[in-house]
Amino acid sequence: MTEMIDNAVKVENLEKSYRKIKAVDGISFDVPEGEVFGLLGPNGAGKTTTIRILLTLIKPTSGSARIFGMDTLQQSDKIRQISGYVPQGISVDGEITAYENMLIYSKLYGLPPANRKKRINEILEYIGLADRAKDMVKTYSGGMMRRLELAQSLINRPKILFLDEPSIGLDPNARNAMWEMVRKLRRELGSTIFLTTHDMVEADTLCDRIGIMDRGKLVVIGTPNDLKATVGGDVVTVSAKNASLSEVIEQLGYQTIGEPSNGTADLLVKNGEKAIPRIVEAFKGKGVELDSVFLKKPTLDDVFLKYTGSRIDDGAGWAQAKKTRMTYRRMAK
Amino acid sequence: MKLKRFITSMLAITELELRKIRHDQSQIWMRLIQPILWLTVFGVTFSAIRVIPTGDYTYLQFLTPGILAQSVIFVAIFYGINVVWERDLGLLNKLMSTPAPRSSIVLGKSLAGGLRGILQALGILLIALVIGIDLILTPLSILGMLVIIILCGICFSSMSMALASIFRTRERMMGVGQAITMPLFFASSAIYPVSIMPDWLQVIAVANPLSYVVDALRSLLVTGDLSGLGLDVLILVASAAVLLFLASLGFKRMLV
Ligand SMILES: Nc1ncnc2c1ncn2[C@@H]1O[C@H](COP(=O)(O)OP(=O)(O)OP(=O)(O)O)[C@@H](O)[C@H]1O
Ligand SMILES: [Mg+2]
Repeated sequence: MTEMIDNAVKVENLEKSYRKIKAVDGISFDVPEGEVFGLLGPNGAGKTTTIRILLTLIKPTSGSARIFGMDTLQQSDKIRQISGYVPQGISVDGEITAYENMLIYSKLYGLPPANRKKRINEILEYIGLADRAKDMVKTYSGGMMRRLELAQSLINRPKILFLDEPSIGLDPNARNAMWEMVRKLRRELGSTIFLTTHDMVEADTLCDRIGIMDRGKLVVIGTPNDLKATVGGDVVTVSAKNASLSEVIEQLGYQTIGEPSNGTADLLVKNGEKAIPRIVEAFKGKGVELDSVFLKKPTLDDVFLKYTGSRIDDGAGWAQAKKTRMTYRRMAK
Repeated sequence: MKLKRFITSMLAITELELRKIRHDQSQIWMRLIQPILWLTVFGVTFSAIRVIPTGDYTYLQFLTPGILAQSVIFVAIFYGINVVWERDLGLLNKLMSTPAPRSSIVLGKSLAGGLRGILQALGILLIALVIGIDLILTPLSILGMLVIIILCGICFSSMSMALASIFRTRERMMGVGQAITMPLFFASSAIYPVSIMPDWLQVIAVANPLSYVVDALRSLLVTGDLSGLGLDVLILVASAAVLLFLASLGFKRMLV
């Protein structure tokens, strides 16, 4: 039975090399139809490159990718016709209205003229931009622009939706609105959603399954809960100045995720609440007075740390994207 | 069916460009300033000093087709810069993710370049009339002019887009735009007859599509002698085809 149904995405040994770098380095995974799947990884992990190969925008160096059984090299037209795409960059034109942006894309997807108007208005209504449809897009806020980009990607009723960093550059309110929108889409339209993000909260709240990507490789794949369980316990972060934490930790036989740095270490323990007093005692026994002790349940960031040895470096890309959008609006004016 | 899709997407791209112009008409008026100066200052001065032999026609009559062609290439050449800008923003990436064939995107943009040229040309024609330049204006000559202008727009906007795929950054494209528009203009029959040029420049002028644009416009609007028109059109269609092909090839490279 399962052999009859094609997966929405099937990727095998996919590789994409540029002159100096392997952007995607031999990854394989499947995404069943109807799933919200997320690639989580830091800047330069190869997320966008993967999406662009799946969308037939660039050719892989080797390996294969199929969308609903269609090969990205051989059936690119068909794949494009059933896919929706919200790119990491900007995809709506600021110098025309929202409605016009939608209209042009309805034509590019070959919607019959009789349906266009109705479909566009429906989608704008759905996404909550109907009352601003006749405004020039350059007058939109970053969040509205991103929503319009989502609307634009729905014009052909895609069977699969690719969202490349859907909430990049948005402030917390707009980000929440975006998440709500994605959940609604998933609930009401049932399309498969393939997203990328470097935001663990986003991955955690939106995705059924997550693939963690780092430097072109897919390091681990699973549901958020399964992944967090692989951390193997709670995380107790201890910090102490002027002490060689690594040595003491080794002597005491604690397991850590990652290497201690800047006088802090993440200890991995069962039942964190009960472990804390014992930890403090044990360190004291070795002559180390802890400055602070902090308990948390494992997050995807810890998962990331466990598998890659570093934390997802947040911030830079986010600020950059926001800046790009603002510059664009300013220049369009 | 495939052809229908091709044409629909091409026209959608053209429509996009034209809608942008409709929302910001000031750019059309701004772009009329320079041709007006060429006609009223340069043209009037050089008519007065009579240094350029233009046969039976006044220098202003001779010059008008040249200025028409010039104004079109000046606009068309910016399509390359525009494409780089759109690539940098990500708009091109999105456009290429639709089923629209890449060549239809290129063709749509250059067609818009041509149509925009028409707006420009009509404006200049009106000014020429106001200044009192004697031109042949029959429905047929005007129609002919429009066709030539569209071909000219297509040629030079695709040339510019082909160059964009080579030079790839906005800054470099600005430089390229400036570096080629003037030579294209001066190495053509736009402001003086080819016959008075030095030999080496004549060779360039013959290879310059702009010469054929000017030649065709001149036979339509000034001399009324249409014997060379067929050849001009043929050469322009061929140049347009080659340049469009190059631009489409380049377009694929823009996204690697
Ligand atoms: N056209 C290209 N030419 C050369 N290198 C490229 C090209 N596109 C991507 N790369 C490189 O490939 C690597 C992966 O890039 P990619 O954009 O896929 O990362 P990403 O995971 O999407 O990162 P980000 O979070 O910054 O968007 C990066 O090192 C990038 O510099
Ligand atoms: Mg990316």
